[in-house]
Amino acid sequence: MGTEKIKENRRKFFKSSVALLGGTLLYSLLKPFELIAQNKEDAVKEDKANDTLWGMGVDIETCIGCGKCAEACKIENNVPKEPFYFRTWVEQYTVKNNGKVKIESPNGGIGGLKQSVPDKDIFKSFMVPKLCNHCTNAPCVQACPVGATFISPDGVVLVDETYCIGCSYCIQACPYGARFMNPVTKVADKCTFCYHRITKGLEPACVEVCPTNARIFGNLRDKKSKLVKFLQKKQTQVLKPHLNTHSKVFYNGLSSEVK
Amino acid sequence: MPKVIFRLFSTFVVFVGVFILIQQYLKPDSFGKYGHYRANAINDAKLIPLKYKGEKKCTTCHQDIYDLKYSDLHDAVSCESCHIPKILATDACKINPPKVEGSNEFCGQCHAINAGRLKKGPPQLDFKDHYEKQNCIDCHNSHAPWELKK
Repeated sequence: MGTEKIKENRRKFFKSSVALLGGTLLYSLLKPFELIAQNKEDAVKEDKANDTLWGMGVDIETCIGCGKCAEACKIENNVPKEPFYFRTWVEQYTVKNNGKVKIESPNGGIGGLKQSVPDKDIFKSFMVPKLCNHCTNAPCVQACPVGATFISPDGVVLVDETYCIGCSYCIQACPYGARFMNPVTKVADKCTFCYHRITKGLEPACVEVCPTNARIFGNLRDKKSKLVKFLQKKQTQVLKPHLNTHSKVFYNGLSSEVK
Repeated sequence: MPKVIFRLFSTFVVFVGVFILIQQYLKPDSFGKYGHYRANAINDAKLIPLKYKGEKKCTTCHQDIYDLKYSDLHDAVSCESCHIPKILATDACKINPPKVEGSNEFCGQCHAINAGRLKKGPPQLDFKDHYEKQNCIDCHNSHAPWELKK
């Protein structure tokens, strides 16, 4: 009895494992044909989306800290004037002669930044505009428990306002401090690269108003775009590269004091 | 199969079935089309009304001022950098004109002296030494700053 039962069990085991293997193999063979079954229009749309990957260049050397970008951003995107939340803002870094660094950004730079350190104490001073870095490996997207924040097919990190539950995990996760809780809508809010503008062929509001062209916006996959030319000409860096976020906002003239 | 196992198994199957049903019912339409998010949210993000309309819109009426601006040092400055649109003002400039004061404080946003600004950038002034009590546009034409008024 014993040997027969073992044989039977063995046969069953072999049968089921062969069936499993065969099934997996068949599925993997059929998988590529799913594309044919898909709607053709959808496939075309996806291809178009793959042609664009939005990014921004920021030239610290030409930024004068007038704060026009922060102001325009607030107006364009209905960000409350007070309390002081910003989708983009300008920081003034002042390195003093004693090596200490003072970072200030009163009202996000709106109304023009003013130097508060007397000239004789200054070693160097520069302006750093900041915004969401639209990371390729975005920590905020990983942190969101409901899938309300996501990277769109053209590389912009967006928030689904109707789907966000307001847990603010993404705000904690963002290493750049680019997110905030909107006091009016009570959901997470952030820079969208003015998605409603760029999809209509316009530039983001901050880029539109910048008087010194310190912000350059464009398609990273288009070799002729202004942004690609900027990246070719200048030696650019991203903020916090050690975090491996692969952000798409590139800074020219970034000093090591900037965090 | 023992009865206990059968009951346990069938309850498990029922639970999973109910879960899948509820999930299908609660999941938004376009969820998961491109990834773990609602694909229609991309369209929602496109629907916000524009406030800054861009220079092309301004030049439909004000081509002359645009040409003047373009010929002088403020060529890189966009119209709406200074003429901030008052709620959809660029649709109806005549009703709600986006006027600019041209005070020292306003022009000083870019032209006040600051150690963080490059010397070769826009001219920087200490307004205490430069006609402190007058408005900038009393002398300067803001569209062509070196055309001084008399």
